[in-house]
Amino acid sequence: MKLHRVPGVPTVPGWCLVLVLVLGAGAAYAQDAPDLRAPRLVLDGGIMWSGSYGIGDATALLRSNATGSTPPPFTLFSASSEVGSAPGAVARVGFTLTPRLAVEGGVAFGMPRIHVAITRDVEASPQPLEGEQLKQYLFDAAVVWHLPRRGGARLRPFVVGGGGYLRQLHEERTLVETGQLYYFGFGARYWLRGGSGTARAFGLRGDLRANLRRGGIDFEDKNRVFPTLAVHLFLSL
Amino acid sequence: MRLVARLLAAWAMVSASTPVEAYLKLGASIDGRVVDVTWRAPVRYFVSDADADGGVSASDLRGAVSRASATWQAVSSATVRLEFLGMTAAVPGMVDGRTTLGFQDRPELDRVLAATSFLIDTTDGAIVEADVFFNSRFKWSVAAAGTPGRVDLESVALHELGHLLGLSHSALGETELTGSGGRRVIASGAVMFPIAMAPGTIADRVLQADDRAGISDLYPATGQLTSTGGITGRVTKNGQGLLGAHVVALNPETGAMVANFALNAKGEFAIVRLEPGPYILRVEPLDDAEVESFFSTAIDVDFRVAYASRMVVAPRGGASAPIEIKVVPK
Repeated sequence: MKLHRVPGVPTVPGWCLVLVLVLGAGAAYAQDAPDLRAPRLVLDGGIMWSGSYGIGDATALLRSNATGSTPPPFTLFSASSEVGSAPGAVARVGFTLTPRLAVEGGVAFGMPRIHVAITRDVEASPQPLEGEQLKQYLFDAAVVWHLPRRGGARLRPFVVGGGGYLRQLHEERTLVETGQLYYFGFGARYWLRGGSGTARAFGLRGDLRANLRRGGIDFEDKNRVFPTLAVHLFLSL
Repeated sequence: MRLVARLLAAWAMVSASTPVEAYLKLGASIDGRVVDVTWRAPVRYFVSDADADGGVSASDLRGAVSRASATWQAVSSATVRLEFLGMTAAVPGMVDGRTTLGFQDRPELDRVLAATSFLIDTTDGAIVEADVFFNSRFKWSVAAAGTPGRVDLESVALHELGHLLGLSHSALGETELTGSGGRRVIASGAVMFPIAMAPGTIADRVLQADDRAGISDLYPATGQLTSTGGITGRVTKNGQGLLGAHVVALNPETGAMVANFALNAKGEFAIVRLEPGPYILRVEPLDDAEVESFFSTAIDVDFRVAYASRMVVAPRGGASAPIEIKVVPK
């Protein structure tokens, strides 16, 4: 493309032209794009951030030298542990049943660290340990309900709920701990380009979820709640 | 068959050449290698018919030993067989082919509640005979709830039967020095801790995780070797191995603690028969009991308590990759 300077019209850098062309294409389809047409497959992929959550305290107790069959124990040391926040990757496949309702399944992978802090030791000061890096997989299925359009023709909010199978592999890869994850959240799709004919619709998707984790690595066998935030690119086939 | 009798109190169980596989158990050096000292058949024992002073009879001792035997035999992860054969006029310590437990007046051992001696086949480490004496110089109790000022006989019998079965002492405990130069137990994590609880206490009638791991290592029940795991590693100070460092493994999920020493000059340790899972490892100097209760060689106790940098997983049916734990001088 050769640009000719027109008197009174400023030239723009090349990258701006590309941006304008892409957005312009999106705008051209904007009127019929922000619906997930049914039935249709939608592919998602992106990055996520998983929040930290505690996995329990542990106390090394010794039997104290006192009378009675159950004297109060003596604390040698205590440790507090948490699964740290970590980035991850997400891939999902969805199927739109109706323009509003979709089902989807996916896999997420992350490598959070287990942080351990020694909090009480009879002979040492409190100290954090370096921790251990987990490999964590989540295989899940969800239902997505798209809400009426908000904030412009290309933005479509939704709520999502689902559950899945959690698999956590310790650093030495010699022990796997499994559990379940249930979540509820909301998000939005933003169409960068709508679909028409053979052209594929694609855009950005953001999710914010509250997760309830059961099982997996936990020293108190308790349910844990933590947030996740994800940003995807989606492609509607 | 060469037979050697040894008194436990004089037992030299650890040397710089001891392999790290050794647990807190007795070992016999045979042709340059250390083998476990164990019974190869059910333990059949007699109880001496001598009474102790202060109203505790031989029959009371028989009852206390019977209850202690039942406690060891109830460890589901181990296969322990102890059979009472009868009362005897024989006294402990005689080499007569009979395993005998009984009261004996040992005024020269004024700090020894009880002790176990062995007759061992030094060709294979098999225990042929083991005798236990309970020092009748002490005031004993067999009351269900204990008796203030008296030592609980069942607790001490449980400890000595642990020796009789082949376990050595555990260093899992905290003590303080007393004005008389002795040590007082503050707390312990094993019945096999070398210093008894105060008179009147009965808590040591119940085995702890460290005791169960030890007996399961000596006499593993079917499937134990494949259903449990181990942790291996090395304790170093200034880059050098640290013989005698005491390593405690805490299972943060169950609270169970099992311990062992770094048992060679490289500072290598192994803690075995652990429930599979992650463990927090704490290293401490052996400063809560007499070193001679554990080692026949000098060991370095000049270092601070330290932790492994991360949790270490005891995998089912195997052992962890070795982890190095660095300690610094005090």
